[in-house]
Amino acid sequence: MTGGDPAGVAHLYVHLPFCASRCGYCAFVVEVGREDARDAYLDALIAELHREAHVVGPFETVYLGGGTPSLMGAERLARLLAEIGPLLAPGAEVSMEANPETVTEDLLAALAEGGVTRLSLGVQSSHTPLLGILDRRATPDDAVRAVELARASGIPMLSVDFILAVPGQSPADLAADLEWIAAAGADHVSWYELEFKEGSAIARGDMVPADEDLAADLYLQAVEGLEGLGYRWYELANFARAGAECRHSLAYWGARDYLGIGVGAVSTIGDERRRNAPGLDRYMAALDAGDTPPRTRETLDADTRRRERWMLGTRVDDDFDTAWAGPPDHPAALARMQAQGLLETGPGTVRLTRRGRLLQNAVMQQLMDFA
Amino acid sequence: MDQSHIRNFSIIAHIDHGKSTLADRILQLTGAVSERDMQAQMLDSMDLERERGITIKAQAVRVLYTADDGETYQLNLIDTPGHVDFAYEVSRSLAACEGALLVVDASQGIEAQTLANAYLAIEGDLELVPVLNKIDLPAADPELHSRALSDLIGDDPENVLRISAKTGVGVKEVLEAVVTRMPPPRGILDAPARALVFDSVYDQYRGVVAFVRVVDGELKARTTLRAMATGSNFDAEEIGVMSPVMTPIGHLSAGESGYIVTGLKSLNELRVGDTITLAQAPATEALPGYREVKPMVFCGLFPVDSDEYPDLRDALEKLSLNDASLVWEPETSQALGFGFRCGFLGLLHMDIIRERLEREYDLDLITTTPNVEYQVTTTAGVVTEVRSPVDLPSPNHIEQIEEPYVRCTMLVPQDGVGAVMGLCQERRGQFVTMTPIENRQQVVYDMPLAEIVLDFYDQLKSRTRGYASLDYEMIDGRVSPLVKLDILLAGEPVDALSMIVHRDSAYARGKGLVDRLKETIPRQMFEVPVQAAIGGKIIARETVKAKRKDVLAKCYGGDISRKRKLLEKQKEGKKRMKHVGNVEVPQEAFLAVLQLDGDSQ
Repeated sequence: MTGGDPAGVAHLYVHLPFCASRCGYCAFVVEVGREDARDAYLDALIAELHREAHVVGPFETVYLGGGTPSLMGAERLARLLAEIGPLLAPGAEVSMEANPETVTEDLLAALAEGGVTRLSLGVQSSHTPLLGILDRRATPDDAVRAVELARASGIPMLSVDFILAVPGQSPADLAADLEWIAAAGADHVSWYELEFKEGSAIARGDMVPADEDLAADLYLQAVEGLEGLGYRWYELANFARAGAECRHSLAYWGARDYLGIGVGAVSTIGDERRRNAPGLDRYMAALDAGDTPPRTRETLDADTRRRERWMLGTRVDDDFDTAWAGPPDHPAALARMQAQGLLETGPGTVRLTRRGRLLQNAVMQQLMDFA
Repeated sequence: MDQSHIRNFSIIAHIDHGKSTLADRILQLTGAVSERDMQAQMLDSMDLERERGITIKAQAVRVLYTADDGETYQLNLIDTPGHVDFAYEVSRSLAACEGALLVVDASQGIEAQTLANAYLAIEGDLELVPVLNKIDLPAADPELHSRALSDLIGDDPENVLRISAKTGVGVKEVLEAVVTRMPPPRGILDAPARALVFDSVYDQYRGVVAFVRVVDGELKARTTLRAMATGSNFDAEEIGVMSPVMTPIGHLSAGESGYIVTGLKSLNELRVGDTITLAQAPATEALPGYREVKPMVFCGLFPVDSDEYPDLRDALEKLSLNDASLVWEPETSQALGFGFRCGFLGLLHMDIIRERLEREYDLDLITTTPNVEYQVTTTAGVVTEVRSPVDLPSPNHIEQIEEPYVRCTMLVPQDGVGAVMGLCQERRGQFVTMTPIENRQQVVYDMPLAEIVLDFYDQLKSRTRGYASLDYEMIDGRVSPLVKLDILLAGEPVDALSMIVHRDSAYARGKGLVDRLKETIPRQMFEVPVQAAIGGKIIARETVKAKRKDVLAKCYGGDISRKRKLLEKQKEGKKRMKHVGNVEVPQEAFLAVLQLDGDSQ
């Protein structure tokens, strides 16, 4: 499993950066008010994909993320999907993110036609005031309508994204989210804690993160609520009905190679991680001139790769293969944390307990010398 | 020069009342320094002093002044340290003088230390010349403060000089007053030589340089001299005066002040207050007033990074070269590892040393709770000196504990008197007197030194909006019901957090401390009880709850490096934590003991 996958990189991420506005918690590479550049950007994306033709194998999974990918519009997405189609392995998973207010029947028809198998709706909350705090443009009604359209479109899998520990969020708000999810009948749920990321508007403002205990209570409420609805807590922040796990995300957590194209996109291939620079115009100009887009590179040495495998792999609720990952820096910590009820070990395997999963950072710090 | 044309004098002034500016003006007016060479505040040689507006080391500058009577006088301006911790050095500087300028800011009035030093000067029979400085300030109230000054020294308000050292107004009159009002020295020229050491510094190339006032006889370069108290003999490699830079002149005779390059390698061989005489023809009696300065306040200094222990030792050695009053010995703490228990003259001295260690030597330090020296009598009748709570015998072996008391003199604006008296009462003060001085009150309390080493001065300032001033002097030791307060983390006592407190305040201190520690210690993987205990008895308890959750952030392809770097950064933060048993304790927790706000209000 070291080095690049001999058969070629099997996972593709495509970054579609256009947004109607920037959400308060967002620190991603997004472009607001540049819809005029969408055609040129699409050209550049396709050019970058062609430049990488020598490393890509048939894609097992593709993920169109953003930004707000749905803002690209039905026709451009159809063109992009037509480029990707011939590179797909049989049975490939093709996911796309969409904001509820941008979902239309035409759009979904184009996606279904283009081979999209999984739609991920950024719902974030079912409660209008909390959507306001998050600067989301969609209303709860938009989300309900988007779910109905998605169900009618023939796209087989529906995922919804929610955020918890939003300032002011109560257990009753979260219970309402759970009801909403049950009614929507989503196959998959991603439920993250609101992060005050450096660079986001929310981190610069007056709001303070929720108290640790309240956030923990809300998280456990979400976990138990979703489990009660028949979802499996298969990754720290992800839940799925049987067979509906996101294979693309599992590739990240399995430390597999992936190719990311688009402005700001990250790829990890073998021992190299590279990040396309932000800046839409520079990106398009480089590809237009037949050059590699501006990017930074990071070499991952053996220790870094070993530590990342632990950091990623133990997120998943599965037996983590220590022989594959390599030993932890402090093996004695395993027994200690087992005694503390944070993890369980088997022959050549480690798996975090439910308590340990809420403390994954701390578990990593005990096991590894991140430096 | 014949003694009738010599004047030795000091300037007594509160911080910021303009002593250095006046000294600079005098140097300029007498031509000792030109305008161009003038580096603001010539006499303060260390950056830190300049920054804090205080003078740590006294020096003597000689200038020649041609007075209105047409005669030329030798004026020796002897600088005095400006802070309460250096009271003994001040007393020696004053002992080298026949007169002193009592400089007071015309807008602020007399402050407690000025008062204390003025009393010292009066006791020493010095001729005091009262000077109101900063009369150019809009807030100046020369009438009021002239009255206060003249009352203090029993002089006519008319005799108070009104000047502005900043603009130079009245400085000439100051020099005239030095010549006409202050008496000349009256030493005996043909008696065995006796010179008072009023300051000494260590120079890395020349060894100890002593600043002296010759009282009787004469000292010559290249003769063998003797320090009478320490018994050190040394050759006077060079004798000279500061004018204002070191200028060799070969000899100093009765009435004059200057410096001697001794070649001695340690300040311990020549202490302030000692008498220098000739080794061949020694005086029979030393000058009066010598005493060994003893540290009053002690604390542990530990490097945050234990690898810096040797660097801390080197730095302390270097600082000690120039500071005989700094004492230190190795100390080992279970919580903090290897460090030093250091003794200081007082709080400011402690602050200065700590700051110099951090700034000049680039060390990161943890300071433990400052404490005083206790005289402990055991049940076996043995008396021991205890400078660290760790060394206190167990309660059943203690017969009694005696703690040092100081007399605190505070000058307080009328509307702050209630607040100040409240503070003194809270800190176990015993009221002595209260006397009005013009628009203020001089409030005197006897207080345990231990009660003022923590934050008394800050509290005094904050409760009077900065207007109260403080001076204190040691008076005696008194028996008090003191107990050792221990702090336990996860059941383990943390030596670095122990302190000796009065029995009656133990509960409040213990409660306040565990509350603050609870806030300072981050949640760990397990629950951490934080307890305060006296002997085996728990008097307060809080719990740092077990950590329940890390941030559950998404971690997709674009997030992996960021996530890893976050863990790396966390790791870096953990390195700065101290491990007490299994508990990770941040440095701030050790500072928590220093913040008493809230306990006492």
